[in-house]
Amino acid sequence: MADILLEGRNLKKYYPVTKGLLQRTIGWVRAVDDISFTIERGKTLSLVGESGAGKTTAAKQILLLEKLTSGDIFFEGKNVYKFSKAELKTEYRPRVQSVQQNPWSSMNPRMRVRDIIAEPLVVNTKQTKEQIRSRVAELLENVGLAPNQADYYPHEFSGGQRQRIAVARALALNPSLVVLDEPVSALDVSIRAQIMNLLKDLQGQYNLSYLVIAHNLATVRFMSHSVAIMYLGQIVEYGDAEEVFKHPLHPYTRALMSASMLTLPEDESEEAQPIILSGEMPSPLNPPPGCRFHTRCTEAQDICSKEIPGEVEIGKRHWVKCHQSSLR
Amino acid sequence: MSEIVLKVEDLHTSFFTRAGEFKAVDGVSFYVREGETFGLVGESACGKTVTGLSILRLLPEPAGKIVGGKIILDGKNILELSKKEMRAYRGSMISMILQDPMTSLNPVYTVGDQIAESVRQHQHIQDSKMVEDQVISALRLLRIPAPEQRLHDYPFQMSGGMRQRVVGSISMSCYPRVLIADEPTTALDATIQAQYLALFKDVQKKTNVAIIFITHDFGVVANICQRVAVMYAGKILETAKTSTIFKAPKHPYTIALIHSVPRLDRKDDRLYSIEGQPPSLLNLPPGCRFAPRCPDVMDICREQQPPEVEIEEGHSVSCWKVK
Amino acid sequence: MQEKASDSETTAKPVVSGLSRRARIMKRLTFIIPVVILSLIIFVAIFADLAWIGLPDVGLAPYDPVKMSLPDRLKPPFWDEDGSTAHLLGTDKMGRDILSRLIFGARISLSVSLLVILITSFVGTVLGILGGYLGGRTEAFLMRITDISLAFPPILVAMLLAVSMGPSFTTVVLAISLLGWAPYARLIRGETLRLREMDFVAQARVIGTSPFRIMLRHIFPNVINPLIIIMTLQVGLLIITEASLSFLGVGIPPPAPSWGNMVNDGRNLVDTAWWISTFPGIAIALVVMSGNFFGDWLRDKLDPRLRQL
Repeated sequence: MADILLEGRNLKKYYPVTKGLLQRTIGWVRAVDDISFTIERGKTLSLVGESGAGKTTAAKQILLLEKLTSGDIFFEGKNVYKFSKAELKTEYRPRVQSVQQNPWSSMNPRMRVRDIIAEPLVVNTKQTKEQIRSRVAELLENVGLAPNQADYYPHEFSGGQRQRIAVARALALNPSLVVLDEPVSALDVSIRAQIMNLLKDLQGQYNLSYLVIAHNLATVRFMSHSVAIMYLGQIVEYGDAEEVFKHPLHPYTRALMSASMLTLPEDESEEAQPIILSGEMPSPLNPPPGCRFHTRCTEAQDICSKEIPGEVEIGKRHWVKCHQSSLR
Repeated sequence: MSEIVLKVEDLHTSFFTRAGEFKAVDGVSFYVREGETFGLVGESACGKTVTGLSILRLLPEPAGKIVGGKIILDGKNILELSKKEMRAYRGSMISMILQDPMTSLNPVYTVGDQIAESVRQHQHIQDSKMVEDQVISALRLLRIPAPEQRLHDYPFQMSGGMRQRVVGSISMSCYPRVLIADEPTTALDATIQAQYLALFKDVQKKTNVAIIFITHDFGVVANICQRVAVMYAGKILETAKTSTIFKAPKHPYTIALIHSVPRLDRKDDRLYSIEGQPPSLLNLPPGCRFAPRCPDVMDICREQQPPEVEIEEGHSVSCWKVK
Repeated sequence: MQEKASDSETTAKPVVSGLSRRARIMKRLTFIIPVVILSLIIFVAIFADLAWIGLPDVGLAPYDPVKMSLPDRLKPPFWDEDGSTAHLLGTDKMGRDILSRLIFGARISLSVSLLVILITSFVGTVLGILGGYLGGRTEAFLMRITDISLAFPPILVAMLLAVSMGPSFTTVVLAISLLGWAPYARLIRGETLRLREMDFVAQARVIGTSPFRIMLRHIFPNVINPLIIIMTLQVGLLIITEASLSFLGVGIPPPAPSWGNMVNDGRNLVDTAWWISTFPGIAIALVVMSGNFFGDWLRDKLDPRLRQL
């Protein structure tokens, strides 16, 4: 039986759109519209999608930066929304940390690196200055930086180094889950590999679970054990990462993979013809009826614009939400 | 083979600041043919954007200056043109697309007005009907649906992908000889990027424009560029056909870079990564720029800069190891 | 094997100043001249006399500023044929030495300004950060008070206060401070709103930091830059406000020599004894200009792209 660290069940997050003097709600932006997923201990789940898919919103809910419109989050089997304030402070927050996308704005420019990394410890524990100091040094070494760099300010480091500092900060409290929101997309190509290798090493070393938010499929394939493809607030395909990447079934997944594949012009054979979608992702304010993807789908049928597809289980650990008859 | 439209010869561009001289582009040479897409690939601060700006002579003054070299467009060295003459060239003979469609368009003018501005200035057409026709054909070139209505739209009324097409329309409105695209797809989603690159290819087929595509993304390079130059710290380390760069790269940096990109077609356990960081442009190492990080470094690499050597037709490398 | 980052290489973005030598010298001057003037005035204010260490008779001012000497009244400055070096800048209609009054006036005007700046910036910053960060009803309430304060004409309020409390140093400081915190609150609230959305604040929340600590450790240090800029620009404004109040007779009560008082004293004699109003007027103008130039220079220097103090 898999050791499930965190489970999201039927998560929904709608943002109200108001109008007029009295701020009447005239509609809802359905940023996250009924998604469910599980994250196993020591493993990585990636939420993949393009901008507007709702993956960053989902991450914000897990980090309790916002409150769900409906749905539940279970952490080690317990419902997070039933935690008391004290329990949240001792049981949840220290165990669920985050690394953000932008290494330039995720750190207070007026604080030295040692204070940035120490802050989680200062806020949550009663350790002495000495203890904190040595812990900070230890964390810096863990991420490949020298302890004496703790006295510098963030702007004195490069993007890659700043991400390392962000990782060090995230690990300060020995979390079980780290939410990584596009951890390498703002970095140079040669630095990305460094950081991704580092993250993998740390995962093995500390049995960390990762929730990775990303739009780059190759990054996702490298890092993930499970993957969930999101489109317009919903999960259209998910399962074991290798399964999904080897046998992508949802037309959107296929299009995404096609767009991300490194193919040379001479290599383009019949099978390798790129799938080019028409149009753009519709607004989450007014999602299309039925299957949300049907407006751009190359395989759309009549039923797709009328009925929301149910979940179809394909083999072990691979689920798709699609009306395609080949899946039944 | 089609003729060479643009030739950059030994270009040197520097930024002069209180801290010293930043040699952003330090001896760069390449050429582009009609109807061809040439890629300038590299990481941040390698000089690719500055190269693009130098060709357009749009460097931030007074700090930025072209200090050497020639840029020959259709046989004429455009560095010798006066400012007025260059302004006539800019937008009509050479055009540029920038990364962010949000800031490339003026929010208070309609899309049609912004394209018309370019048309009026360079084609000296005053008749408003003729101008409108040109605008509509520019919009049509970038496959913007219902152009006759769209030209009255404001940028905020359009989606991101559509805005990027409008930027393309403005740049192509005068059918330039060379189009410089500076990371135009970086801010776009993967599926929109795929659309956009297909569109670029289509436009190129129709107009035979030469494109210089500046990017850090090898996936884009593979998709759209026929030839590519890999830049590092102000220099070109390797130039070759795209397929050669991917299948048989020779420069250690190129090899390392290609290997450090994660692959979608297979599962890697570990990525190849290059140690260290690109050098500061103020304090460049005396020999080869890549020597401090090169896995194959030799003594001579640290002392002297390697010359550019053409090892086979269309493939040149600057490396002491490759002879 | 742990991935190592190169520990010698830090690559901060280059600062392109790009100005010609002449432009750079001019820019330097716009910093040096105001600083010199302001430093001079501060020096003069401090050493007007050494009463504060118990030596009232030692100091820069040649005479006691309130000492009347009717035989010496209305003497012009020393370069005029009727003037003498005994009174370098002349005397006023009570025979008081203008130079000494100017020197002591610096002390009074600067004290008022500094005190007011400290009080108003403190109150305004606290309210601005609280309102900006906490939002909701707190913000609505604080912003309404701010708006109301901004709506009142400051001089009028000062006059009312002076009339009811009687003019004095304390009254003046209170009068100007009562409404003076509002511009700070408004600006700092704006900055706080911007900072609140930044990633590192979200990160602090993820770590479990309390709102109070976030406001103190994350918001406040990052509003210091714009705060200092306003403070320097306020110096000039406050000198004029104090001078105006004194000029109107509701400021520092005579015979204390505030520059405003001095201008008022010479108001009716501008055509005959021009020196009584002119010198304090010049002094006010110099301080205001210096404060403004310095504030502008500071604003350029503290451009957010450089992000350092």
